[in-house]
Amino acid sequence: MTSDTKALPRITPDSAPFWEALRERRLLLPYCLDCGLPHLPPGPVCPACFSGRLEWRAVSGRGRISTWTVVHKAWFPSFAADVPYNVVQVELDEGPRLTANVVGLPNERLAVGLAVEIDYDEQRDGITLPRFRPTAV
Amino acid sequence: MTLSLRDHSAIVGIGQSAYGRFLPDSQLALGATALKAALDDAGLKRADIDGVAIHMGWPLGIDYDRVAEAYGLDVRWVSQTWLHGRFVTSAIQQAAMAVACGLAEVVACVNAISFTRERQILGGPEDAEGTREEGGTHGESPPYGLTAPAGGAALGMQRYMARYGATSEQLAAVPMAFRKHAQKSPYAVMQKPMTLTDHQASRMVVDPLRLFDCCLITDGAAVAIVTSAERARDLRQRPVYISGMQGLRSGRDEFIFAPRGLGINQQRDVAAGPDERDLLAYRMAGISRADVAGLYTYDAFSPLVLFMLERFGFCGPGEAAAWVQGGRIELGGEMPMNTSGGLLSEAHMGGWNSILEIVRQLRGNAGERQIENARHLQWATAWGDSVIFRN
Repeated sequence: MTSDTKALPRITPDSAPFWEALRERRLLLPYCLDCGLPHLPPGPVCPACFSGRLEWRAVSGRGRISTWTVVHKAWFPSFAADVPYNVVQVELDEGPRLTANVVGLPNERLAVGLAVEIDYDEQRDGITLPRFRPTAV
Repeated sequence: MTLSLRDHSAIVGIGQSAYGRFLPDSQLALGATALKAALDDAGLKRADIDGVAIHMGWPLGIDYDRVAEAYGLDVRWVSQTWLHGRFVTSAIQQAAMAVACGLAEVVACVNAISFTRERQILGGPEDAEGTREEGGTHGESPPYGLTAPAGGAALGMQRYMARYGATSEQLAAVPMAFRKHAQKSPYAVMQKPMTLTDHQASRMVVDPLRLFDCCLITDGAAVAIVTSAERARDLRQRPVYISGMQGLRSGRDEFIFAPRGLGINQQRDVAAGPDERDLLAYRMAGISRADVAGLYTYDAFSPLVLFMLERFGFCGPGEAAAWVQGGRIELGGEMPMNTSGGLLSEAHMGGWNSILEIVRQLRGNAGERQIENARHLQWATAWGDSVIFRN
């Protein structure tokens, strides 16, 4: 990665299906075939019951901001033009949380509990990042 | 059958280098200064050291083998952690356990670091925390622009504020108290007074953390020497006994910069006070929370102080921001904390500057910072580990 390029996610064998689905503009979670619970980040086993029988299923892409921050320091040269920018965690309606950014919302309106839905942001090298925007009413 | 570790081992020598920014000395030179001072303090010789617990290590610092080689040590037991503050307790515990189990007799716990020379890897493109497989342990997510431990602490505090209504003005009581303490420490890097106005005027770094909620980036070294209580009694200083301990908690309900159950990462969303596992150190030490005369914690970011207070039950969930007001955590208050200024105002020695302060306090050598009649002092962190020391 050069300093003017934003980092891409580190994809592991466990998370590859997550990123492959995002490329097709779908959000999948690993569900446990034994206890039925989904989890994030994608792991090799169900963290609830330790079963290795997992199945990737499409989910709603809707959730709520569970926490947020606005970054004011240009730690990354590649984000310097974006400062101040937000980073959020979103609690999906299905339960697990993921880190992302919110688009289409002024930073002043960021709030825990705000309803959001997924957007897909195509990057280089065949990677699509999940973003979230306020749920349309 | 378990081995009781209460008062089985003790810190018998402490030493440090100067603390400062952009110090010209190498990390090894800073460490050598601190180790020599600690040996002199204890009345021990270099050859007495047969174990090292190195709390510096890759990627910021030097590994154990170069330390032993450079200082001419010949040890039979080594523990090494990398330079995260969460491992202060681990290093002390491993030293105490090594001594108790006969794996070593005299263990030097060594922390030496030049943060100012390594600052380019403290967040940003050269920080490997977020880019290794499974990413960083403070919530780092470089593709979304989140980096450095401060980012994770901001995620924790923002949700805490939303849940409980805590404010930045309340949070300011923490760095302001520690600045007052630093002004009484001859070792402290920050000596200027800090008012609430100063705190609120300090620039926002990663919302809600302002500059003055973030610890210093400094250089220096601190060494503490651990040996058995039996041997300690024959040495130069009054022993400071390792009286109670509990380990670092980890699991799906934990995030390093949040109380249990705050709802960061995959934590459950429940407000819970301490459970039995959060309080084991008191039982080992044979004391209760009320016997603690002073508290020391890893204050890389001011919210961590609040989270620790709640985890150990000094106040209830959501109450800490109010609890720290009115001088309660200052010298002369009900529960003085980080009496030499902590990472926020004395120096960032990975937490070891506060361990050295505990030892000075329990020897009665803390000068104008002295907590009167201090018998038990506690090191405790937001992530649940603790060591209780007594004199």
